Amino acid sequence: MSVRMATSVGAVPLANPVMAASGTFGYGLDLIDFCPPERLGAVVSKGLSPRPRPGNPMPRIVETAAGMINAIGLQNIGVEAFCRDALPQLRARGAVVVVNVFGARMEEYLEVVARCEREAGVAAYELNVSCPNVSAGGMEFGHDPALLETLTRRCRDATRRPLWVKLSPNAPDLVATARAAVAGGADALTLINTVRAMAIDAAARRPVLANGCGGLSGPAVKPIALRMVWEVHRALPEVPLVGIGGVETGRDAAEFLLAGASAVQVGTATFRDPAAPLRIVAELERFCETQGVADVRDLIGGLQWR
Amino acid sequence: MIARRDLAVRVAARTDLSPTCFRIALATPEPLAAAPGQFAMVACGEGFDPLLRRAFSIAGVARREGHTLVELMVKEVGRGSALLRRAPLGAELRLLAPLGNGFTLSPGEGGPLALVAGGIGLPPLLFAAERLAAQGVAFDLYLGAATAAELLEAERCRRAAAAAGGELVCATDDGSAGEAGLVTAALERRLETGRRYARVLVCGPNPMLRALARLARERKLDAELSLEEPMGCGVGVCLGCVVELADGRMVPSCKEGPVFPASRLAARWSE
Repeated sequence: MSVRMATSVGAVPLANPVMAASGTFGYGLDLIDFCPPERLGAVVSKGLSPRPRPGNPMPRIVETAAGMINAIGLQNIGVEAFCRDALPQLRARGAVVVVNVFGARMEEYLEVVARCEREAGVAAYELNVSCPNVSAGGMEFGHDPALLETLTRRCRDATRRPLWVKLSPNAPDLVATARAAVAGGADALTLINTVRAMAIDAAARRPVLANGCGGLSGPAVKPIALRMVWEVHRALPEVPLVGIGGVETGRDAAEFLLAGASAVQVGTATFRDPAAPLRIVAELERFCETQGVADVRDLIGGLQWR
Repeated sequence: MIARRDLAVRVAARTDLSPTCFRIALATPEPLAAAPGQFAMVACGEGFDPLLRRAFSIAGVARREGHTLVELMVKEVGRGSALLRRAPLGAELRLLAPLGNGFTLSPGEGGPLALVAGGIGLPPLLFAAERLAAQGVAFDLYLGAATAAELLEAERCRRAAAAAGGELVCATDDGSAGEAGLVTAALERRLETGRRYARVLVCGPNPMLRALARLARERKLDAELSLEEPMGCGVGVCLGCVVELADGRMVPSCKEGPVFPASRLAARWSE
């Protein structure tokens, strides 16, 4: 049986439901020998700010039980270098590119969007309003529904391209922030970003990370992410969702689709296995075959609730 | 550049080198090449514990009886290295290699090369030493450790250095073997008495790297340092292992390194 793997997130058609997540796949070209970007549903760029950012001091990452905590601090080459050096190559390869947008202030988000508006080959924007590692950063936007709605609307007014908002699991009321993003004009929601966390070196009596706290990712967060995708899908069934959090296998991807996601993003798994996103596409296809699912979209929101 | 690959490998041999360090040979039927200074990311167990692969410098690559043998030297410090120490012979692991850049091994102006290794920093320098010996390029090898018991592979080092007419200089912190004190001091004493080197290749703990960077700046030595930042992915995408360069850039040491000319590193390395 051949499985139809094509799906879409709102108006963005994808050859398959697996994307490489922001901050885990460089600028889309770093792992072409293991994972050609054009063979994925899409690639999401590292979070781009108007100007390059050096990121946080070291140490920035620490491994924990079935997960890792990072406090990279949104180190990135800046939107100009991305548009000049990476985007033309991604375009030439036929990759579906989602630009992850980050700003320390509202104007900076708009600056990044405005710069990308001059370029062809951007399929959508994903607003990072939920990075837990930058004190002056997007966290406030992701936690305050009114502010998030304003930010989303101002970005909405700056582009006709699809606009996604990546939600924080650390917000006091997830569904309220989801509604605010949609009210502001978001076409789709990505969830979840990393879960605020810390690791302590007991002998040194200090936090392990130079930043003190960071964001937890990997298999440890998958049950939280599934619950959140399911909750937002139930509250806003008409809004396309992109599920992310601990996707390691095709079966994990299927779980996110069943919870209501139209597609998934693979992040930390790529650190363990540079071919992970592509492997997960193949595994998801096999899962559908063995389950007699002819169209991967039949899984979306297919959770049977008792 | 040699193409990197993610290969299934089997544990072919393992030998204890000290109370905490061991040598392990991983075998694959696939061809694989590497340059001294390059490293491998090894999945030490199955499942999510540990979650990430571990980075190990490659100590040698040999083709034998239809198999490639990748030699690593490991110090047991945590979960990943403990699993490697206990993995039964024949156990299958995954190895992503070769990664990163390597040392400059060409002979240079103004003398032989100096290879300086501290503790478990030996593997890339032993790899370099045996390759230089095979090519007939002259070098002295400085081998440092805390105690005599922790001096790794001294005989092999002596043979490699002697093959090209060079010397092995051992130093231990407690004076239980070779010269007493830091290996960097042993190098400095020879520089004081007029020994000249075209290039100094270094791998060891951070204080030793800093001492060498300082020495390189003061004496205008051409020095290459192999840094050992903890790595998440090994392929430049997690940005967990960044190093600050003299031009202010923060670069992943797994991708732009792990070997850096001392002069390219931020000033704090040589202060």
